[in-house]
Amino acid sequence: MKKKVVPYLLVSPYIIHFLIFIAFPVIFSIVLTFHKWNIISPMEYTGFANYIRLFQDTLFLKSIINTLIFLVIHIPLQIIVALFLAEVLNQKIFLRGFFRAAFFLPVVVSGVVVTILWQQLYGFDTGLLNKILVTLGFGKVGWLIDPKIAMPSIAIMATWKNVGLYIVLFLVGLQTVPKHYYEAADLEGATHWQKFFKITLPMINPTIFLVVILSTVGGFSLFIEPYILTGGGPLNSTLSAVLYIYKQAFFYYHMGYSATLGLFFALIILSVVIIQKKFIEREV
Amino acid sequence: MKKNIKYLYIIIFLLVGILTSCGNENDNENKLLYWSSNNPYEIEFAKYIVNKWNKENPDKAFIKFQPVPEGQSSEEIILAAVVGETTPDIYSSMWQGDVEAYAQAGVVIPFDTLDGFIDFIYERCDSSVVDEMRSQDGHIYQIPWKINPIMMIYNQNIFRELGLNNPPHTYSDYLAASELFKKDVDGDGYVDRWFGYSEVIVTWWQRFFDFYPFYLAASGGAPLIENNKAVFNNEHAIGVFSFLKKLYDNEYFTRERLSARQDVFLSSHIATRFTGPWEIVHAEKFKPEGFEYDFSTIPVPDGFEGPIYTYGDPKNIVIFNTCKDPQYAWEFIKFMISKENDLKLLEITSQLPRRKQIDADSLFTNYFNANPKMIKFAKQSKYVKGTDSTPVLKEVFDLISQEYEACVIYGVKSPEQAINDAAHAVNLLFIK
Amino acid sequence: MKKAIFYLVLVFGALMFLYPFLWMITASLVPESDISSFSIIPSTISFNSYTQMFDKIPIGRALLNSILVASSVTAGVLVFGSMVGYALSRLEFKGRNLIFYVIIFTMTLPFQITLIPQYIIMVKLGWIDTYLALIVPYLMNALSIIMFRQYFKSIPQDLIDAARIDGCTELGIIFRILWPNAIPALVTVGIITFMASWNEVLWPLIVIRDEELMTMPQLVTLFVLGGRAESQLGVKLASATILALPIVLAYLFFQKYFIQSMASTGIKE
Repeated sequence: MKKKVVPYLLVSPYIIHFLIFIAFPVIFSIVLTFHKWNIISPMEYTGFANYIRLFQDTLFLKSIINTLIFLVIHIPLQIIVALFLAEVLNQKIFLRGFFRAAFFLPVVVSGVVVTILWQQLYGFDTGLLNKILVTLGFGKVGWLIDPKIAMPSIAIMATWKNVGLYIVLFLVGLQTVPKHYYEAADLEGATHWQKFFKITLPMINPTIFLVVILSTVGGFSLFIEPYILTGGGPLNSTLSAVLYIYKQAFFYYHMGYSATLGLFFALIILSVVIIQKKFIEREV
Repeated sequence: MKKNIKYLYIIIFLLVGILTSCGNENDNENKLLYWSSNNPYEIEFAKYIVNKWNKENPDKAFIKFQPVPEGQSSEEIILAAVVGETTPDIYSSMWQGDVEAYAQAGVVIPFDTLDGFIDFIYERCDSSVVDEMRSQDGHIYQIPWKINPIMMIYNQNIFRELGLNNPPHTYSDYLAASELFKKDVDGDGYVDRWFGYSEVIVTWWQRFFDFYPFYLAASGGAPLIENNKAVFNNEHAIGVFSFLKKLYDNEYFTRERLSARQDVFLSSHIATRFTGPWEIVHAEKFKPEGFEYDFSTIPVPDGFEGPIYTYGDPKNIVIFNTCKDPQYAWEFIKFMISKENDLKLLEITSQLPRRKQIDADSLFTNYFNANPKMIKFAKQSKYVKGTDSTPVLKEVFDLISQEYEACVIYGVKSPEQAINDAAHAVNLLFIK
Repeated sequence: MKKAIFYLVLVFGALMFLYPFLWMITASLVPESDISSFSIIPSTISFNSYTQMFDKIPIGRALLNSILVASSVTAGVLVFGSMVGYALSRLEFKGRNLIFYVIIFTMTLPFQITLIPQYIIMVKLGWIDTYLALIVPYLMNALSIIMFRQYFKSIPQDLIDAARIDGCTELGIIFRILWPNAIPALVTVGIITFMASWNEVLWPLIVIRDEELMTMPQLVTLFVLGGRAESQLGVKLASATILALPIVLAYLFFQKYFIQSMASTGIKE
């Protein structure tokens, strides 16, 4: 008798937490999508009105596209930079620990700090990046004020913030590649790049897919960067889906509509993750 | 075994209990919570008033003060506080546009049911102002406390250098002066000195500092919304958009968000901006030596005649229904907005109390003599407008703001098209 | 020659990552009028920005709040995570697999779905503007359960059996037998949880309005975005520096653990 109860007592905190903070919210969210509610006044049943509105909402569509643009730039950039720096760090190098620590520093620092810093770096008139560009004889770039460039700018910043983590992941991956593969290649007179593409890359494929998944999930929740840097502008070009959902809920108190957007967006994320997982299982 | 887990639960509940008691500290019976706006000078004023009151009335309930915890705007915070029933007892920075909805929801307390209110308010304000405060049900839920007329601040040193004897009065004057001032100082091929600046982000209330005062000035104080219909699809609004658009097209204004930098007005990177009297205190505190500035009316279309209106940015005082002793709260408010303390408000914050004939009252004469810049605002205060009464005012300004960005700042739409689209979108709000 | 290029790349890279932080510290330490967009050598040292900031916002209180919240959350996650992880890995009971799959499923569930209802729950419980709102929803964490489950699986059964014979309770086994043998897992989960909690902004923005209860990231975000910094860049940067300082210090001292922990979150999946 005793024995049977113990495991349930041990997992009960999780079950209670799950019911209150996950199961109930999910159900409540679904109920909310059929209502209009500004929290102050009572809920008003509106049928599928929120869904109809969602499919006509071009701004929401734009915010999803913006988020995808972010992902499409951020993920490859992240992998290339991280792989490159990991490859460099994987050599026998003086002060290796220092360099690794330096690349990792932005990972531990709050996104708020990083965003405040990059707001200064990205300044059009007095920002450091444009000063460097002008000194080198190039033109200035409208990092945050050109609607075409603002989102890529945020992607670059996010890469700078997270790349340290992925360097470490790749370093772990690189160390699993057996040394004799390279020795054999050396005997055949392979160049450094040949070795990289023929041996290293295939061997660390699993790590790459891991990085893709991790940064996809992280990238979909893009919020604080545009919230501080641009407020979603210029011309809504950095309005991420989460920022839009947040605005609908906590600027305008369209709770029902915001829940609808949240649910719909969550389904998109889930399907992307599932597709990625399927793809990876086939590949690896 | 089971016992062991029980102990764990007891510990958890105790912990939870301790944490809860920490969190509810401010619900102390004998305290009244007062929120001011979070402008630093208003905080200073509020601290002064609250300390004085608490010292003079040691036997009465203690007033606890805190600036409104501000996010992007204090209006959001108040709404959130109402929802979470964490409203303060007294709030002194209530935006007029929100009061009607709160009154209808029964969240704020009618002042006219409190002893001594009616006499006091007619003593302090013109009857027209009192009427403006009155809600649809006949009660008065807000006390008109102060206004901050939006005017044009300009750098006199720069104007002297440019050879301008008078601040630009019309659009043409303003554009001509802009052309004179525009310059690439560091020679990197990009303009880095602009005649003016207005915050470029799309947040709805930013338009209180550019489009809205210009619209009120050009139209002689016309409304945006009337009888649940957009009435701003007119020559005035289009004129304002065209004018502002020219400023960005010609690089007289920058598209960059300069608020992330140091103060660009005080560093003479810009020559004018549109702001309220709070700017005086700020400028006096941070201006470089020899820096001179003054205020003037908002620029108007060429050939405009008549009084020049502007946005008054009225801020009012309310008592929320979470207050346990409204009569006592009112006693405190009465003290806070007494004539002497209105003078103190003016001195500390440079914001105008909404008090009748303030420029003629002898108590204030010394202040205005010592602060000639404030006379301009006192005079302007006769021609100020608040906001139209509609429950969807935020959405209205948000829609205008979206079109503003597309047309004025980025020029992807013509002014006619932008205003037309905005009006159309606003009208859709009222259909539902 | 090749080596030289390597080091050039590395030094340039390191500079790209360190320079902004150095610039921030410098800019927060010089008088407002001396702030330049690139210099990292202070002309004169002035703590004016810091004294102004301490005057304007209760950053000390926010630091205490952040420590309290992050420590409580971490403690909760370690205790509850190991309890559930232990049950899932070492005990037989009906529904064990079901619970495990539910946990895996919740890990893929985007927070967007639960955000608004969670806010409503906080309102209804009266937890808005209390520490409870910041702590309780985070006491349980799917990733930590999975990690503990994984780690506890690798501990020899003999150890547990011996403890049982000595009359040790199940909780006794977890905290007296398994914990001393699971230090790496505890450190990893601890660091990840603490960092995530320390850097959280979105949720505090939603549930905390009272300045006295704000954590550091929230207070700094609002300070930098709002009007209270009075357009003084140095003051804003000072607040950002103070926000970064504690975690960077912790990172410098426990660098190895930080990097290992963060890396293992990815590998364990």
